[in-house]
This record gives sequence, structure tokens and C-alpha cells, in this order.
Amino acid sequence: MTDASILRIEGLEAKVADEDLSILKGLTLDIGKGEIHAIMGPNGSGKSTLAKVLAGHPGYEATMGSVEFRGADLLDLEADERSQAGVFLAFQYPVEIPGVSIANFLRTAVQAHLPEDEELDVFDFTDILMERMEMLEMDVAFAERHVNDGFSGGEKKRNEILQMAMLKPKLAVMDETDSGLDIDALKIVASGVNKLSEEDPEMSVLLITHYQRLLDYIKPDFVHVMVDGRIVKSGGPEVALELEAGGYSEFETASAS
Amino acid sequence: MVDMVITESQATQGVTEAFNAASVELLTKGEPAWLREGREQAWSVYEQTPMPNTRLEEWRYTDLTRLLQLASLRLPEVEVGPGSASTWPDRLRETTEQNREAAGHIVLIDGHVVHADIDPVLAEQGVILDSLHDALTLHPELVKEHLGSAVSADDGKLEALNMAMWADGIFVYVPSAVRLDLPIRVTRWISQAGAAYFSRVLIVAEAQSQVSYVDEVVSDDFDTQTLKSSAVELVAGAGAVLQYVTVQRAGSGVFVHSAQRTLAERDARIDTLNVGLGGSVHRVDLNAKLLGPGANSEMLGLYFGDGNQHFDFNTSQDHTEPNTGSDLLYKGALDGASRAVFRGIIRVLPGAQRTDAYQTNRNLLLSSGARADSLPNLEIEADDVKCSHGATVGELDTEAKFYLMSRGLDKVQAERLVVLGFLGEVLSRLPLGGVIEKVTGAIEEKLSQHG
Ligand SMILES: Nc1ncnc2c1ncn2[C@@H]1O[C@H](COP(=O)(O)OP(=O)(O)O)[C@@H](O)[C@H]1O
Ligand SMILES: [Mg+2]
Repeated sequence: MTDASILRIEGLEAKVADEDLSILKGLTLDIGKGEIHAIMGPNGSGKSTLAKVLAGHPGYEATMGSVEFRGADLLDLEADERSQAGVFLAFQYPVEIPGVSIANFLRTAVQAHLPEDEELDVFDFTDILMERMEMLEMDVAFAERHVNDGFSGGEKKRNEILQMAMLKPKLAVMDETDSGLDIDALKIVASGVNKLSEEDPEMSVLLITHYQRLLDYIKPDFVHVMVDGRIVKSGGPEVALELEAGGYSEFETASAS
Repeated sequence: MVDMVITESQATQGVTEAFNAASVELLTKGEPAWLREGREQAWSVYEQTPMPNTRLEEWRYTDLTRLLQLASLRLPEVEVGPGSASTWPDRLRETTEQNREAAGHIVLIDGHVVHADIDPVLAEQGVILDSLHDALTLHPELVKEHLGSAVSADDGKLEALNMAMWADGIFVYVPSAVRLDLPIRVTRWISQAGAAYFSRVLIVAEAQSQVSYVDEVVSDDFDTQTLKSSAVELVAGAGAVLQYVTVQRAGSGVFVHSAQRTLAERDARIDTLNVGLGGSVHRVDLNAKLLGPGANSEMLGLYFGDGNQHFDFNTSQDHTEPNTGSDLLYKGALDGASRAVFRGIIRVLPGAQRTDAYQTNRNLLLSSGARADSLPNLEIEADDVKCSHGATVGELDTEAKFYLMSRGLDKVQAERLVVLGFLGEVLSRLPLGGVIEKVTGAIEEKLSQHG
């Protein structure tokens, strides 16, 4: 763990782009290189919105505050540029892309992450893809299936981690990756993420989750509680355990007052 | 050219300086009597048939009075194109080079055969691949039996004009139980602006035989409207398998009309794929007839419009016998101010029990100026059938685009993948050698111009 910051969010306010609906209401969060942070919070508190704002979803607009990623203004970049810069979002609800095979999609994505004058070696790519699929205990036939098309909830989540493993981000935001996974799948996914952390100790992770369960397998350094668009409490792993015992009611009344 | 005076009432019926009884007469020179009579009769049907207008349901969205300038069309000059491939236009040469793998080839420039070959083993087995003119001389009985049996002058004004005026054609005949592994490939180049090209395709697959056929047209862009009219007759005997693919990559200015009918006997299968990429107007009238018990037809269509392109697919699935099946899927993407019309009907006659008939049309609008109209229809007179029809017109999914961009793909790449994925479903259902790559490449070319 180092002190150097990879992501610095300062007083971030964001709203739905074409509506007068603010969701993030002054959120501040600092993530250091190699750190694992968890954000927990009740439904509707704005966790997914934060994730999508970080990834550059055009449906949201940052109206106040700043987001600095590896020293650059993240909000200035398009979604594809953020990905190329090293931001990865594992979606809470991965999108179906009919007719596009995972292999073809990933080939294009990996190519997009290479320097402009560098051509992807298709054989190397295939080797790495196979190896990554093995790591996540995925059948090789999976590569020819169309992206998320007709996938079960668990398959979709695993496919998100496969993409993460292929793109090797500097910051992985994982939005409720644990939901929809049975305990065996959860263990596989968690061990995949842990392996990526070992491969690149500087990779930072922001876990968004409802449940302590995931945190038993991916151990966070910091846990934050998010309510109504703000971080209302931060601390170590013990915060998650307190939440497990007491729920969010304490914070919700606090934020309403 | 024959000089004559065209009266106003003749003109409204489409009698023009190029299209008239005298020009039909010229074409009959040297032809057998039955064909001469066929042309003359077709001409008289043409003269007596009013020009279709938008009051007719089938022409509601395609206004011929506005879109087809019959009076300014002329017949192509009789210039025999260069025979050696090295002197062909680049685009034609590139196209034919992609089409190497085949059971046989025909290359036509302005309707003239400039190259023809067929696998000698197949020729030995009695497979015929000829220009229709040569076939008239070499196989008169076969041609006489089938020409006009599927698409005739009675099908409509444009069909009658084609029957009267056709100047070139392809004849494919596959004897019983002969099966071709590779497709037959026909490549056409048209070069004369303002010309009207009339051609016919006649494919006869005898019982238990198998053949696939890919017909592709390419041209430069034209300033003056140029007509490409074709009549396609596909006949499959008992248990035969016939696959027909047409890829339209004409330049702008070309008005394409294709009248197609499939006649599938007992247990036969006839699959069609119409790909519309080029041209200014592209109208297809496709009728599938399931004539024998167990007959099947897969009917596929794919189009990508941009600029002011206008596509109109008018299809019908006729089930007259029991246990027949047809499955239609037409998908298109529309950019710019392009427009597509799909109008399809499934007809199941009382005797056609246990019919499975499906019809789906899906459109993807890539710009706010594009438009798609979809009119699926059912006419079911049997009670034990499985039929469904559906149509959608949608826009590019912004969530899908964001998902792909969040993986590093730029906007153009993201749209390209979504569109190719959407259209790819059609191509994957008829995976003939090289067609997927060729059509995908052509779509990518069009997508790269997408703003
Ligand atoms: N695009 C949107 N349009 C309208 N409301 C939205 C939109 N996105 C999020 N919201 C609302 O903002 C709030 C926070 O949503 P979200 O970020 O998904 O919460 P969480 O992930 O914490 O459950 C919810 O009330 C949700 O309904
Ligand atoms: Mg959420």
C-alpha cells in the first residue's frame, strides 16, 4: 500500500442529465494506489450513479466538485478515454449486445487499449483469453457466445470480471458484483479479483455492495457508508460489521435531519 | 433506336422511346416462336396494365411516378465488354477475386457474359450454368418448360416489362440427386448511365439435388437514373435444396427492381437472402410458394440505407399444403434520410394444416432523419398452425453504446459493433462461403461514413 492517491473525489454533485434530479450531493472520497475500498449503502443512495459518473455515462451530469484520476481531470474525458486511462466499471446490470461474440468484443477492446501504432497479436490474445477464462472457471465455448445475450445473472457477473481481467485496469469499480452469485461463483469471482490484485499490487478497487458476504472474500482496507448521495461514515473493515449488525437506520435519520 | 411518336396516353402507361412494341420486336430476332409470342403477349399485358400508384396497398410507400423516370431511360448500347479480367473495372475485378471459391462463375458486363466457367466434374454430371441466350439454343426444351413459370407478365406492370424486354439472363440446371458443395457465383457490372437493364435468373433444382447461388451487382455511381430490373425464378423438385443469395451493391442513381418467386415441391427447401446496400431505390417483390407437403423456405433480408436511399420489401409466404414451413427475417439499419418499407403477408390455405410460418422485420434507425414502415400481416384459413409475425423499429441502444465505450471502444467502433451484431443475425442464418465477410465489409464501409 502506498500513500499516492489514484482517485480523488472532492465535493462531487451530480444529477440526471436531462432532468432536475440531483443524486450525488457533495461526495468526497480519496483512494490510494493499491487500496481496496468498499462503499455500502441502502438502495437508492446513489452508489450506481457514482459508479456511472466515474465511468462517464452520458446520462448523468456532474454539476459541482472534481474528480482527479492519476492526476488528470477525469470528468473531462469521454467514457472510452477513461477506460483507456485505466478505469473499469463492472456493471450492476451488464448490457446485452446481441450478435457480438465475447471474443470479438474483447479483441476490439484490448486493441483499443494498445498504443495507436501497436497491432494486437491475435494468437497472444487468444492464449490470454483462454487463460483468463480458465482462472474464472469459464467454459471455452463462452468466448463465442454473444455478449450477455441470454446469460444468467451469474454468467453476466463472471463475464464482467473476465473483461476486467483482460483490460487490467488501474481502478476497478465493482457495482454489486456479488448480487446474483451463489456462494461458489462468489468465491471464484473473488479469487479472480484477488489474483488480479496480486498481479498488479497498484490496482485499486472500489467495491460497491450491500452485504458483508463479499467482504469476507475480498478484504477491504476502508469501508464507507453512503446515504443520500454522500459519504456519511468512513472507517476500517469494522464499519461493515457494524452495519451488518445495526443496518442503515442510524444514518438515514441522521441524513434526513 | 427506333423513331416513333409517343402519345400522351401511351406515355402514362409507360410506352416510351425505349420501351415500345418495336423495341420488343427487335429483341425477338432469332428467338424461337414460343419466346417471341411470350414477349409479345407480355408487352400487351404491359400496355394494358396501369402503372402502379400509391393508392394500391402494395405500392403505398413507393411512389413510382416520383421515383421511376421511365421516359428518360434508354436501352443499353450494345458494346461487348472486355473479356480479359485485367481490363475490367477495379471494383469488378476485386469483387470477382473475392468470389474465387465456387462451383462455377459467370461475370457479366452490361449484360454480356465476359467470363464463364464451371467445375468440369459437375458439367459431366449434367449441371448447366449458361447465359439464358445460350441455354435457349443448347437446352431449348428445359428453358421452354420453366421460363416464366414462376414470374410471369401477369404478376404486374414491371414484371410484364421485364418479360417483354429481358436482354440477358442466367440459367442454372441441376439434375436429380446431384449436389453442389460450393455456390455458383454470378457477378454483374453495369456501366451505362441512364440505361435500363432487364435480366432474368432461372434456377431449376431437380429432385434431391442441392445448389446454392450467389448473385452480386456492383457499379459506379450514376448522375442519371439507371434501371436494373430482374425476374428471379427458383424451382426446387421433391427433396431438393436451393439457396439463393443476391447482394445489391450498385452505385447511387440505380433503381433496382427484383421480382422473385420460389416454387418448392414436396420436402424441398428454398432459402433466399436479399441484401440491399447500394442503389437509390431498391424494391423486391418476393413470393414463396410452398407447393408440396413438407416444403420449407427460409426468407432472409438485410439492408443498410443511408443518404436518400429507399428500400421496399414486399413479401408473401403462400402455404397451400400441409406440414410446410416458412421463416422470414428481414433486418435493416437506416442512416441519414434513408427509408425502408417492409410489407409481408403469410397466407395459409385451409388444406395447409400443421404449417409453421413466421415473419419478423426489425429496423434500427441510426439517425433522426431515417424512417422505417413495417406492415406484417397474416391470413390464416387453417386451424392447426403455428404462425407469428412481428415488427420493430428501434434506435441505437445508448446503454449498449455506453457499455462498449466503457471498455475503451470509441463511439464509431461501439456503433459499428452494435449494428454489425444486429445485422449479423441474418447472415449467420445462411452462412455461404465468403458472403458474411463480403457483406460485413460493405456494411463497415457504409458505417465509416456514418456521422
Ligand atoms: N437515469 C435516472 N433517471 C431517474 N432517476 C434516476 C436515474 N438514475 C438514478 N436515479 C435515481 O437516483 C437514485 C439513486 O439511484 P442509484 O444510483 O441507482 O442507487 P443505488 O445504486 O445506490 O441503489 C434512485 O432514487 C434512482 O431512482
Ligand atoms: Mg445500484
